[in-house]
Amino acid sequence: MKQGSIVIDPVTRIEGHSKITLHLNEDGRVEEARFHVTQFRGFEKLCEGRPFYEMPSLMARICGICPVSHLIASAKACDSLLAVRIPPTADKLRRIFGLAQVTQSHALSLFHLSSPDLLLGMDADPAKSNIFGVAEKNPELALDGIRLRQFGQRIIERLGGKRIHPAWVVPGGVSEPLTEANRDAILFALPDALAIAERTLEWFKGTMEKFREEISTFGNFPTLFMGIVKKDNGLTFYGGKIRIVDASGHVVADDLDPTDYADYIGEKVEPWSYLKSSYYKPKGFPDGVYRVGPLARLNVADRCGTPRADQELAEFHELQRTAVLSSFHYHHARLIEILYCIERLEQLLNDPEILSKHVRAVARPNALEGVGAAEAPRGTLFHHYKIDEQGLIRWVNLIIATGQNNLAMNRSVLQVAKHFVYGNRLTPGMLNRVEAVIRCYDPCLSCSTHAFGEMPLRIQLLSPGGEVLDDVARA
Amino acid sequence: MNSRFMPRILIIVYGNPMRSDDGVAWRAAELLERKFAGSKIEGEVEILRCHQLAPELAEAVNRFEAAIFVDARSAGAGGEPGELRCEDILTPAGKSSFSHQLSPGAVLALSRQLFGASPRAYAVTLTGECFDHGDSLSPAVEAALPALVARIDSLVRQLRLSVGSLKGIPRRTRSRTKESPKCRNPS
Repeated sequence: MKQGSIVIDPVTRIEGHSKITLHLNEDGRVEEARFHVTQFRGFEKLCEGRPFYEMPSLMARICGICPVSHLIASAKACDSLLAVRIPPTADKLRRIFGLAQVTQSHALSLFHLSSPDLLLGMDADPAKSNIFGVAEKNPELALDGIRLRQFGQRIIERLGGKRIHPAWVVPGGVSEPLTEANRDAILFALPDALAIAERTLEWFKGTMEKFREEISTFGNFPTLFMGIVKKDNGLTFYGGKIRIVDASGHVVADDLDPTDYADYIGEKVEPWSYLKSSYYKPKGFPDGVYRVGPLARLNVADRCGTPRADQELAEFHELQRTAVLSSFHYHHARLIEILYCIERLEQLLNDPEILSKHVRAVARPNALEGVGAAEAPRGTLFHHYKIDEQGLIRWVNLIIATGQNNLAMNRSVLQVAKHFVYGNRLTPGMLNRVEAVIRCYDPCLSCSTHAFGEMPLRIQLLSPGGEVLDDVARA
Repeated sequence: MNSRFMPRILIIVYGNPMRSDDGVAWRAAELLERKFAGSKIEGEVEILRCHQLAPELAEAVNRFEAAIFVDARSAGAGGEPGELRCEDILTPAGKSSFSHQLSPGAVLALSRQLFGASPRAYAVTLTGECFDHGDSLSPAVEAALPALVARIDSLVRQLRLSVGSLKGIPRRTRSRTKESPKCRNPS
């Protein structure tokens, strides 16, 4: 049989525009796979010359899905420029904001984008493998997705004044305190959200048995895992130290200061993608491949710090004696994190200081360079700024979760393609599995290329000579 | 008063305000808010801004009597830059497999599927010229912005009369055709 390659373009049900090429060997088996991001990055350059205090609201515009994560990382970088310690209540309010963001973003990923795979199966008719198919087969699940996402969005709206691009998080803290009415309204909505998280987690765990083959082949290989943990090595989304564990679950690096990220994170540019690939410098490229995001966070964290999430985390850690390696378990980790977020929201909202009016520290710039890091829904996010004496931005570097997962996503596509794809034609089941493994990572290509707007993705099957044997594009 | 019986109109503006003409709907929203401020219309209309149409909008539209979707249309979709179109959204055409971004028809279809009803709905679009990075509109679109705002305002006023006449009748039992204003484009 003729050697060739397959191109999947665009990859559907992800946030962004990319394509996949699968290169076949003489036997018609996949030999190489590449996940290309075809959108050009440009945000960092656009920021140069802008006043530093505009950065949080400007950075929030990188993405319509996770603006709050950029807002928080950016504000933290600006806090660093001001060299201030923000008031304790502002710190807690930012955490609430971030937890709401993770909840709504994870809900979008799991319910709207991946639930068709999980509910209808990987071989479902592509015409029905979408939110409408889910609504037809399990309307309660579709409604739960909508309600859980709304729960997170409404918190963002209550705190930030609007659900997209809220400018409430500012250098030095937040612009307005939380009102009693808003606190009570959020607390009132918590039990329903918690019930949705609980029943969805139960449903998900019940479906795992059907996906044994996918679990064993969806990014199931050794890598490092990186995430921010609290002082007690507990799960956090807001701040702490970087921890890295290896595939056996052993801690490779601990207590790393996020500010020093450039000492231990390297970035490589490949000619076939606008997405930079990150690696752990001490291990070099490509051995330093690491994963970030829900799976990594639960692999690096010893505990969650909330009762139900801790129970689920203990069960999760029992999935494997080593670190949990299969990227299919990103879904599972995402659900545990939703549970954690809701429980943690309740703890923070019941804090006696949460209605304090002292929510902002005011200062002029006291440093010319600042780094902010936080855990975005998809993984660790770094914002690094340099300013001049007038407070104008001179240099920006953003390290985004999807870029850090790029190497692992490429390996995952190759593993899935080697297992499921053969011949010079793509069947819907093959196509969907190749796409589904990418959806496990919930890549946000708007963020990772720092470009604006939306992008769809496409799969191409290429011969060793570069001849296109099959080309599938779905909108 | 039971809010189910109150005439309410939802205006959904979508697009990316940092991609030049793609942000025209957001600009229209600002002008509409100013126009409606202090008038009776202000309390009867809600304006929702978003980047793209997502599934949760199915729940949002279900709570209103009428919905107006406002967007920039790419030149490839037809029309000269600055050309204004207003269309009734009658059928759930265009169900999308990519559930990050639904068409207005798909949002309405999902609303019907999950909630058993959807409001009468209209799409008001303006053909854009430039979708590059930037927060200003191209001259043709900037020039057409007042007409876009006027068209939406006129539609809202027609809808107010229409939905107002239905006050007191449970929404799900109403006829969708008899009192609904029709969107017609100049020939």
